[in-house]
Amino acid sequence: MTAVTYLEAISQAIREEMRRDESVFLLGEDVATYGGAFKVSAGFLEEFGPERVIDTPMSETAIIGSAVGAALMGMRPIAEMQYIDFITCGFDQIVNMACKMYWRSGIPLPLVIRGPAGGGTHGGPFHSASPEAWFFHTPGIKVVMPATTYDAKGLLKAAIRDNNPVLYLEHKLLYRLPELREELPSEDYIVPLGKAIIRRHGRHMTMLTYGAMVHQCLKAAEQLASEDGLAVEVVDLRSLTPLDRQTIKESVMRTNKVLIVHEDTLTGGVGAELAALLAEELFDYLDGPIMRVAAPDAPYPYAPPLEMAYLPGVERIVAVARQLAAY
Amino acid sequence: MPTPVKFPRLGESVAEGTVAAWLKHEGDYVEKDEALAEVVTDKVNAELPSPVAGRLVKILVPADQTVPVGTAIALIEEEGARAEVAEEARAGQSESGSVAAAQPAPVGEQVTSAAAVQRGTSALSVAAEAVTAEPHDGQQPGERQRISPLARRLAREHGLDLNEIKGTGVGGRVRKEDILAYLEQRQLGAQTVQTPAAAVTAQPKPAPTTVVSTAAGAARGPEPVAVGPDEEVIVPDRMRLAIAEHMVRSKRTAPHATTVVEVDMTAIARWLERNKEEFKRREGYSISYVPFVMKAVCEGIRKVPLINSSWTEENRIVVKKRIHLGVAVATDSGLVVPTIHDADQYTIAGLARRLNEVAQRARSNRLTVQDLQGSTFVVNNPGTFGTILSVPIINQPHAAILSMDAVVKRPVVTEDDAIAIRSMMYLCLSFDHRILDGAGAATFLQAVRAKLQSYGPEIDVY
Repeated sequence: MTAVTYLEAISQAIREEMRRDESVFLLGEDVATYGGAFKVSAGFLEEFGPERVIDTPMSETAIIGSAVGAALMGMRPIAEMQYIDFITCGFDQIVNMACKMYWRSGIPLPLVIRGPAGGGTHGGPFHSASPEAWFFHTPGIKVVMPATTYDAKGLLKAAIRDNNPVLYLEHKLLYRLPELREELPSEDYIVPLGKAIIRRHGRHMTMLTYGAMVHQCLKAAEQLASEDGLAVEVVDLRSLTPLDRQTIKESVMRTNKVLIVHEDTLTGGVGAELAALLAEELFDYLDGPIMRVAAPDAPYPYAPPLEMAYLPGVERIVAVARQLAAY
Repeated sequence: MPTPVKFPRLGESVAEGTVAAWLKHEGDYVEKDEALAEVVTDKVNAELPSPVAGRLVKILVPADQTVPVGTAIALIEEEGARAEVAEEARAGQSESGSVAAAQPAPVGEQVTSAAAVQRGTSALSVAAEAVTAEPHDGQQPGERQRISPLARRLAREHGLDLNEIKGTGVGGRVRKEDILAYLEQRQLGAQTVQTPAAAVTAQPKPAPTTVVSTAAGAARGPEPVAVGPDEEVIVPDRMRLAIAEHMVRSKRTAPHATTVVEVDMTAIARWLERNKEEFKRREGYSISYVPFVMKAVCEGIRKVPLINSSWTEENRIVVKKRIHLGVAVATDSGLVVPTIHDADQYTIAGLARRLNEVAQRARSNRLTVQDLQGSTFVVNNPGTFGTILSVPIINQPHAAILSMDAVVKRPVVTEDDAIAIRSMMYLCLSFDHRILDGAGAATFLQAVRAKLQSYGPEIDVY
């Protein structure tokens, strides 16, 4: 058995689920003949045929809209956004149709919308989005964001098997990152939705994060341990909706200080909700202010020096963590 | 907007208390100063007067619950408050203005912020004080101690006085590690030798959720260790703990200096001997040396007003224009110091009457909120126990305290160089040396003595 990349893990998950369940099918721009812009579905057309691997017109409204219709009819569609930035074109189909369907009619809507999210790849303002907050805010859809190869596969399988709309956000920076190569179990497994995981244990501070920022936080925690003697706990949320409140709260009750790190912009982000939740429910357990490291409230920049400054990195996380530790 | 009724500060060292019973129900109409509830602290049981007239709309703290001083325990909708608000809104005034207007301070009084600084000066009536109960405990908002929410909770759970703990966070903030380090230190201290007396300062304050009981007391504080077979451990009750805290705080706060004069009480002693019984029969209450001394103290304060003042945390001296004398009364459960307000306005007989009233209320646990607030100077009378010389500790935040000891017959050399048997008494003044020096203290004592020795055989106590 060989170690696979994060991208290969996603590919495996879809293939295995399509083999396991005939109602699972893939649709999106260039997913069939071209094998997907990032080659997630390379070879799928050959294995599953044009009825289950469908090249669509360049219309996210049509992709998501037809996926909603198919799910209503009992299929389990996986709708790919070539870049997650384009999901906004299908926003109405998601928030007004998919999210409300079960609420309105009682009919389950097993639908996965997935695509490459996040920055750090010099993709500029239209190919680097972190759109999770819009959907995190919207009731009726689950939002997951894997940080590791193992989770990439396990969470996607769980998403495909879930009877609700799930937004599965792949971080494109992680797609082929050599250090994320991992040998995956040969047997079938899932990573349950709604379960966070503690990536590093510590007693001085909790970092709440998800997606690619998990790795930045782990590096920052390492640096803080060696240079400051601080034991930082890093919690990878994995699922934003449903949110694993229990794991979050247990960690914060142990460490009493919280730093929230996300790649999405600051205002009204996931961090804002986490901060409000902790302030409401764990006020008496806080030994310092709830702090956040996030992208500035600005559109994603193209120029590489700006991009470097824009993305939260180890240096900033360490600086803010030190401030919090000294509070 | 309903007026909150706050748990009153029943005595200077009391940080919390219990609502023993509600005397009114939600929806009841109450008059201003009508008893709303019975409240219990470690010092006293008292009835809580309503700060305003109106309808009790909400009881926020049920009976038997212990809360910190200043906690809102009920809401009273004042009569006509709605109409007033509406009217004032029409007149373009703010709503807060209407609330303030609805609780006018007594004539000639200062406004609430000043009252908060001059806590205990009784610039405001008790009712008003209950409403405005000082939010910062005498500290300026800007000087508020910085404490993390967690540290605050831990301190509460362990019954710690946050003033005792040095914060190591940014800006001196007390945070988790400071509390944990303090607890560890205390633990170590408790394990090595028996705690030295000075460690009383570090004793935890009473736990917040308990009412007066020694059983509850056993749960708090470090476990005493190394009790010998012929030793017994007494867990102090809340009143004892409160007194301990107050005494240590006073000694720590004010540099005490003490000065003594000897007073010839013969004229008063003879008058009392002749008139005491008759007075009691006529008035229905007894008269003793104490009201004479109180009267003389008022005289002395008029000569040396600094005796009736406070040193504030901002390093100012606040001189109190009204004289509210606290009188120490020993009760079965400990010492209480009820107040006789505007003592200088009474005759000696009037003081005797007021003294009897508060002493009786103190011994029957019926002191009111007013009784315990706002004293500006204390007269202590250990002489009833036969002592001849006592050095008292100042009742904070006063400038001084006077102890009157027993009047005993002694041979003394009179002015004409004869030896005579006279009824003598020592008056012992402990004063805050920050505020005044020995000369000022002596001047005061001389004035008190002069007044006491000024009486002839016939004394008009009315």
